[in-house]
Amino acid sequence: MAADGDDVISDQEKVRIVSDFILHSPPGEFNEVFNDVRVLLNNDTLLKEGASGAFAQYNKDQLTPVRLEGSELHTLVTDHNDLGGGRFFDPRSKRSFKYDHLRKEATEYEPYEPDRLAEPWRAALDVELTNYVAEHYKHGASLVVGRALDAGAVALVACIEQHQFQPKNYWNGRWRSVWSLTLGGGAAELRGALRVQVHYYEDGNVQLVSSKEVRAPLAAPGEAREAGAAREAVRLLAEAEGAYQTALSDNYQTMSDTTFKALRRQLPVTRSKIDWARLVSYTIGKELKSQ
Amino acid sequence: MTEQQMDCALDLMRRLPPQQIEKNLTDLIDLVPSLCEDLLSSVDQPLKIAQDRSNGKDYLLCDYNRDGDSYRSPWSNTYDPPLEDGSMPSERLRKLEIEANHAFDQYREMYFEGGVSSVYLWDMDHGFAGVILIKKAGDGSQKIKGCWDSIHVVEVVEKSSGRNAHYKLTSTAMLWLQTNKEGSGTMNLGGSLTRQAEQDSTVSDVTPHIANIGRMVEDMENKIRNTLNDIYFGKTKDIVNGLRSTVPANVERQKAALQHDLAEALLQRRQTTRAD
Repeated sequence: MAADGDDVISDQEKVRIVSDFILHSPPGEFNEVFNDVRVLLNNDTLLKEGASGAFAQYNKDQLTPVRLEGSELHTLVTDHNDLGGGRFFDPRSKRSFKYDHLRKEATEYEPYEPDRLAEPWRAALDVELTNYVAEHYKHGASLVVGRALDAGAVALVACIEQHQFQPKNYWNGRWRSVWSLTLGGGAAELRGALRVQVHYYEDGNVQLVSSKEVRAPLAAPGEAREAGAAREAVRLLAEAEGAYQTALSDNYQTMSDTTFKALRRQLPVTRSKIDWARLVSYTIGKELKSQ
Repeated sequence: MTEQQMDCALDLMRRLPPQQIEKNLTDLIDLVPSLCEDLLSSVDQPLKIAQDRSNGKDYLLCDYNRDGDSYRSPWSNTYDPPLEDGSMPSERLRKLEIEANHAFDQYREMYFEGGVSSVYLWDMDHGFAGVILIKKAGDGSQKIKGCWDSIHVVEVVEKSSGRNAHYKLTSTAMLWLQTNKEGSGTMNLGGSLTRQAEQDSTVSDVTPHIANIGRMVEDMENKIRNTLNDIYFGKTKDIVNGLRSTVPANVERQKAALQHDLAEALLQRRQTTRAD
């Protein structure tokens, strides 16, 4: 472990380390981690040139919500609506925008024409998902994107984000879901990646990092086509998210009731604290005898 | 190295996921090699276990029993790999160290019912300092892995009379819980809490240093255990359930409306009864 004080690593290796730190910033603490690595790296040019990709990746990984001018609902910055060149699209308001990854602001709005074939499916899922998010996530935001595949099928991705940042109380937390499905091409599968991270840091550093992959068969859409398929997909993903949340709560219970108790007792078997004077004299006595 | 860099390094370690402390610390040292010694002595890491070759007993490794790349066993007082001039406590302190190891071995057995403990002491100008280490891993029942690490650093300043001493305790407890189940996926709940306490105590035959330190460590660890319980299983769980609610908002609204109606009805009934 003892590193030689003279070891110098390459700029490339420094960028790798700094980017890794940035990508692991807990929810809501990007700015603090950014300031730390800036001082540690002590080379703003290298930070900007080498690690700015990590700033963008972090925002996309975190499904960062962004408020667009004139839109009531937030949209999300993700890998799935990334147009490249720092631009993202919001299918709901049919606009694209430039996103500043450090200021976390949208500017330079432009009209955006969504995929015509996919749009009816996307819009139907968007309606159902937005309703669902409003019911289960107090301050949640969501995004649905779609693109047409060959043979009339449509690939959809639905993202949900909810966070609570309370730095004054030394905690932050974020829930993320990414669901993908293919519709319009017979029976399909719903796939989800659910993630929760919580950071508590008053006189310490405690984190919950949890993730779950979900797969559920999706029946071929029947009569109502778009609307019916969207309702069924949201019913399934709601069920899966609820089951995940319940399973987390069950784990909490077992960890507290069983695992934690088996690690350290609240008091010794005698139900009273240790008589240290006796324990020490006994120890010394035993020590003398063994000599 | 600057003081500001050290502050930023410590701030960073308080933010990055504690589950990767070792990797983050190695990366941090690679990034700013001049911080190496300061970081190793101020960032607590999960304790590692080694076996004393001379008697087969387990002991714990930390920065305080490290000299170069070797670690000193509290049982045989030898370094592994062997070191000719490794730093050693004075004869008087080594005697106290032996007693402390025996005492905390019993403390560990009474509270942890298993695990490994080690105590290391070193001489200071006006007294001495020491670290009490305890590690206990769970048996993995119910598919949940658990581990506890305690690191208690104590500084003892002996007053010139020799009958009083000032004790300063800095305690860190790490708790690691991990599971991977079909329903919950991967769930990793871990990290550490640090607390401090100071006090003056009489040093005598009935209240020797070890008893004074023992009481402080016991009180502190009991307190931290309660706090860990509150934060891990109360606070972080509440935060998760504050992010997503299992009950839809419209059901909550209906419930609230129903409660309101009930309260109204009761009030009216009471008023009508009174009017009769």
